[in-house]
Amino acid sequence: MTPGARPYYVPVGIEEQVFKAAFRQGMSVVLKGPTGCGKTRLVEAMAHDLDRPLITVACHDDLTTADLVGRFLLQGGETRWVDGPLTRAVREGAICYLDEVVEARQDTTVVIHPLADHRRQLPIDRLGVLLDAAPGFCLVVSYNPGYQSVLKDLKDSTRQRMVAIELSFPPPDVEEKVVSHEAGVDHDKAALLVQLGQAIRRLEAVGLREVASTRLLIAAARLVAEGLPARAAARAAVAGPLTDDPMVTAGLFEMIDAYLPDDG
Amino acid sequence: MGDVDRLRLLASAIAGRTLEVAGARDGERTWTDGTTVFVESHARPAEQVRMVAVQASLVGAGSLEPGIVRQLGRGSSLARRYLAVEGHRALATNEVLPLVVRSLVDAEVAGSVGRPEDSLGVARARGAIDDPPASFGVVRPRRLLTSAERTDATAGTSDQVQGRPQHETGSRLDEDDADDADWRRAGQLVSSPVGGRGALGRLLKRMLSATREPGAGGPAGADAPGRLVRARTRRLGTVTPTSVAAGAVAPTTPFQPRGRTYPEWDVHRRRYRPDWCTVLEHAPRPQDLAPMVVPDAPAFRRPLARLGTGLDHTRRRPQGDDIDIDAAVEARVELLAGSPPGEAVYVESLRRRRDLAVLILLDTSGSAGEPGPAGRPVHHHQRSAAAALAAALHDLGDRVAVYAFNSHGRRAVHVRRVKGFDDRFDARAVLRLGGLVPGAYTRLGAAIRHGASVLEERGGTSRRLLVVLSDGFAYDHGYGGRYGEADARRALTEARRRGLGCLCLSVGAGTAPAALRRVFGTAAHATVPLPAQLPGLVGPLFRAALRSADTERRAFQRDRRTRERLELETRMTP
Repeated sequence: MTPGARPYYVPVGIEEQVFKAAFRQGMSVVLKGPTGCGKTRLVEAMAHDLDRPLITVACHDDLTTADLVGRFLLQGGETRWVDGPLTRAVREGAICYLDEVVEARQDTTVVIHPLADHRRQLPIDRLGVLLDAAPGFCLVVSYNPGYQSVLKDLKDSTRQRMVAIELSFPPPDVEEKVVSHEAGVDHDKAALLVQLGQAIRRLEAVGLREVASTRLLIAAARLVAEGLPARAAARAAVAGPLTDDPMVTAGLFEMIDAYLPDDG
Repeated sequence: MGDVDRLRLLASAIAGRTLEVAGARDGERTWTDGTTVFVESHARPAEQVRMVAVQASLVGAGSLEPGIVRQLGRGSSLARRYLAVEGHRALATNEVLPLVVRSLVDAEVAGSVGRPEDSLGVARARGAIDDPPASFGVVRPRRLLTSAERTDATAGTSDQVQGRPQHETGSRLDEDDADDADWRRAGQLVSSPVGGRGALGRLLKRMLSATREPGAGGPAGADAPGRLVRARTRRLGTVTPTSVAAGAVAPTTPFQPRGRTYPEWDVHRRRYRPDWCTVLEHAPRPQDLAPMVVPDAPAFRRPLARLGTGLDHTRRRPQGDDIDIDAAVEARVELLAGSPPGEAVYVESLRRRRDLAVLILLDTSGSAGEPGPAGRPVHHHQRSAAAALAAALHDLGDRVAVYAFNSHGRRAVHVRRVKGFDDRFDARAVLRLGGLVPGAYTRLGAAIRHGASVLEERGGTSRRLLVVLSDGFAYDHGYGGRYGEADARRALTEARRRGLGCLCLSVGAGTAPAALRRVFGTAAHATVPLPAQLPGLVGPLFRAALRSADTERRAFQRDRRTRERLELETRMTP
């Protein structure tokens, strides 16, 4: 992370200490937690504290091994090798953060096995080399336990060398602080939005794929900071992203009207 | 259901568990039976929100637990005094009390009691207590207890059994003792698996489902106007296999079902009986709605996500993982020869497009209404499985349809459209699925033939899959034992010959594998005791069904090409 302000992260438990201890021991870290609860922000803050560059890869189901490790390109009459983000992190000793690693294809996650265990090596078969990780390299993967466990896909030897940090949505007082800081709204407005979020998280089996995350609440608060009425902001930034279903939308609108003041 | 249904999410959030919201009868104050809040329909919307919030808070704060409610007795005055105190406590202790309700809370009253028992104590004491505000509605101890008993009796079995009778409860104004008890006994006899498992219960259930649904695939709910029911009965009598040609539709009224005839395989004579069965396809009816819980769709999404979307290495792409050596050499040669080189010199692994339509055919015959080995009716397991599969496939971008079927003889095979291929899979579709009530018999073959032709006509993709959710008991008038099994098996074989994938799932029925094999033949099939065990199975099963369908489809197309060529050659030969 480049020098500058520390990315805003409010610890809920001892997750920062666990992360740093794992880093110093050269162990890989797996972050578990729902979408938008602060996994990425924790890694950014840690990279800042530990003074390591951070390379983030948002995994998707078409991510190939070459996308991570690198590939040959043709330039003029020459072939030129271009490092992928993982290889770059291994060479530079950076923190490599594979976000939502469950989304990646199974054949892709195979390349992280030798990196995640005690060998800390990255084989690049296209180059025929075995790259030793530079000091300071740290592999961090995250996944949403709402989906299937990625740990199942990893070998036992690898699994036992990963340190798991479980995150969930912060308690209301912390979340209010986060929303108010991130969006620059006053504490009372943040508190109302957080309460709406808490209420939506209590719903079960109503057809929402995800619950209202801290990220969604911050988005609504940022609209409020721009001068939008609270209800309109929540409709646009909370209800809209959560569902397309007209009945569920109507229900969410009702909740928004009940929890937020009519300041429009 | 109605306009107040929009408050369902709010009520559930405040209570911390799923609560339904329905309109109360005219003249009734707002009240709850513990699973549904009946709200005054004519109150202003803002007032309705407050009323729902109070009742939901009572549910969430444990104020309406049977242990407390039982002590409220029969009179309304103690219940009123209790509500006047406990209502404030319930609101004040709610962690997610909406802004608009906060003004209702009397902090002094709320602070004076810590538990429902305390409120009860205050209510019992002689002290003066103001009547609760109008927004508090009322507490109806007897309704709560009736509901709780029923819920206990069904042991959390189903939203269905809990859902319907409660509306009946809600529609009753008087609290007449003897009548109430009778009604309760009758209700338990019919609706609880405990009473329903006995011979009398089964008989009653059969009779009820037969009389309540004069031939319709779905329930003629208690609230359906009598006129409609009569009209349909009459019309059904006039539909004959010969008068309605295949595919012909004559919608004279919106309730006219589409009739279509299908052959049936007579295993004894080894030949088809042409136009033997009439399938009537019914549009969804707005009154047949009931809430249900959609089980864990993400668990299904993962095994289904990779279906038929393998990777293809595609050469000569402008970008990719590896260099396409041939293309690179050519490009180099072109460059040296003086012409501009091609830039597509990479090998890219591309995912094949998802190209899948799935029709889920749900058996809603009377046998599915009976409890399986696990205690819950088979229908509930099958319905959960259908909802989870449909939700997962829909999320993945596949085309999904859900149809339910049962039959009353060969001239009335009813297929009800729960979700057509072009309908949205939304909360309303789930309500329609929840509103299905099992009844009547199973003419499996005709239903499969109809499902297959719907899939062919409206599926719209090249890969198509028919999923049959049934307990595997093929039984109807003149359609039992070996005859029915052979016809169902035949229908599946026909569908597979035409290149449709077929997959048969039996959930919670405990049917013996040998019996299933007799009905489903060599089509991919499986039986599991609980829907929760399906996610591990659907991946391999879907793959097997699709693989065999791909093979058949290629053979089918090859045969057709051969036939066409032969025809052409025959025509060209003088």
